[in-house]
Amino acid sequence: MTVKEAAEFAKKGRAYAQRTKYKEAMAYYNKALQIDPKYPEGWYLRASVLVETGKPEEAIADFDRALALNQNYADAWSKKALALYNLERFNDALLAATRASTLNGNDASAWYIKGVCLDELGRSDEAQEAYGKSLELEIILDMDAERKKVRKS
Amino acid sequence: MKTEMPLSKPIRRFISQTEEMLDTQISLLRQPDADPGGTLIDVYTYDMEKNVNVIIFPAQYVGLLKDFVIAKHCTNLLIKGAAHKKAKYMVCSYTEDSVYRGMRQIYLDALKDEAKKQDKLPVNKLIQMLFILFTHFNDDINELPWNALVNASVYHRMPKIRKTQLYHVMKESKNDMDEMIEQESIIPRRYFVLNKAMFYARDMFLAKTLPADELMPVLNIPQMKKFNHLEVKEMLTTRWTHTAWYQSKVFGDNMLEIVDKHLDKVEWNAPPTLDHYLELYKLGVNLTNHLISYMTMKDWFIWEEPKHLLQAHAMKEDYEKQALKKIFGDLLGESWGGT
Repeated sequence: MTVKEAAEFAKKGRAYAQRTKYKEAMAYYNKALQIDPKYPEGWYLRASVLVETGKPEEAIADFDRALALNQNYADAWSKKALALYNLERFNDALLAATRASTLNGNDASAWYIKGVCLDELGRSDEAQEAYGKSLELEIILDMDAERKKVRKS
Repeated sequence: MKTEMPLSKPIRRFISQTEEMLDTQISLLRQPDADPGGTLIDVYTYDMEKNVNVIIFPAQYVGLLKDFVIAKHCTNLLIKGAAHKKAKYMVCSYTEDSVYRGMRQIYLDALKDEAKKQDKLPVNKLIQMLFILFTHFNDDINELPWNALVNASVYHRMPKIRKTQLYHVMKESKNDMDEMIEQESIIPRRYFVLNKAMFYARDMFLAKTLPADELMPVLNIPQMKKFNHLEVKEMLTTRWTHTAWYQSKVFGDNMLEIVDKHLDKVEWNAPPTLDHYLELYKLGVNLTNHLISYMTMKDWFIWEEPKHLLQAHAMKEDYEKQALKKIFGDLLGESWGGT
């Protein structure tokens, strides 16, 4: 068994997760992590499914494992922020979202969670700034999506 | 409402209020191929097993764009729900007879246009166009007046998402302007102009409602720099006057007057009660009736329960076939009908 095989399993799992077939996705992610427990993406992907299926505590444990293996893993910080937000741990979520947006300034989702948390913490002006940044990025994403659609048709 | 998605405070509150006022539930669904404006599947329009309404939005909407789509559809839901609970929720539907009247009128107008044309439209295309155009107007008349109303309501109730709304309105306006352009030479002039005029009136009304300064943060995006220092109204007017449909402006200005007359007196910030949303519903119905009258399409559509419209959609091939038979008699073979 190789690291490459773990990545293959993770890829299959992701295909299922995209179709919201989370049970099947989890099975593949578990296989990937059995082969290579030091595979940060495997932990991250499994944690993402746990967030989607309403298990934020378990998700945070998996995100932490991913981040222990790679502390500059921007996507893991971003999704961890979401899990913390779902637990209404707004201060912790804000820290995670800030880390995510520092590592990847183009993560619209991280900026948005940052805005939402700041709003919850009563820091309205800072929230507006974060929302503004998130909106800019979202519009760029949206324009790209439209362009792709036009090209397809 | 139960969701794993992050939602800004005002939107969360608005969803809860909507659920509480209508005694229903709202579910949020992200889909890669969803309509850019989102879709509302509601219990007042469709036969649903559970008392759960679904708001669907594109997967790339992760933040405020998603919030705006939710706000828009919650407002829509409140209007429908208030009408359902306090009066009767109706939509513009059609029958076999009204389809005949509409298609016949389009045919007569098309003949007048064709007489002036050098490149005549092939007969089969002309026949196919009749019902397509009829249903197009049915869709638009069921959507457009409500779009103006809902946008104005969201603008006044949700100040924090105004920038997002402005982007959305501009994008929607662009898409609507592009609609039908490829068929310009096929569609009778009158209908092409009327269709564009409706959108023009909506855009101008919204341009008046949404002030330009709300756009500023969005201007950091290079593609939108060209709009810097322009009034929203000026932006939209400039785009309209540079298009092939300048004639639409004449009709559009008249329609704008109709929209203004109906919506100018609304107390947008009145307490958000069911009565307030019922008032908006009544205004929407009145506005729709006036627009239909202005376009002389009064006998094309009838106000009926949503179920009637769904049944009419299911019967549309048959309605088209029967209308064509009445218009053309035996000139058409049995194979016609069903576009």
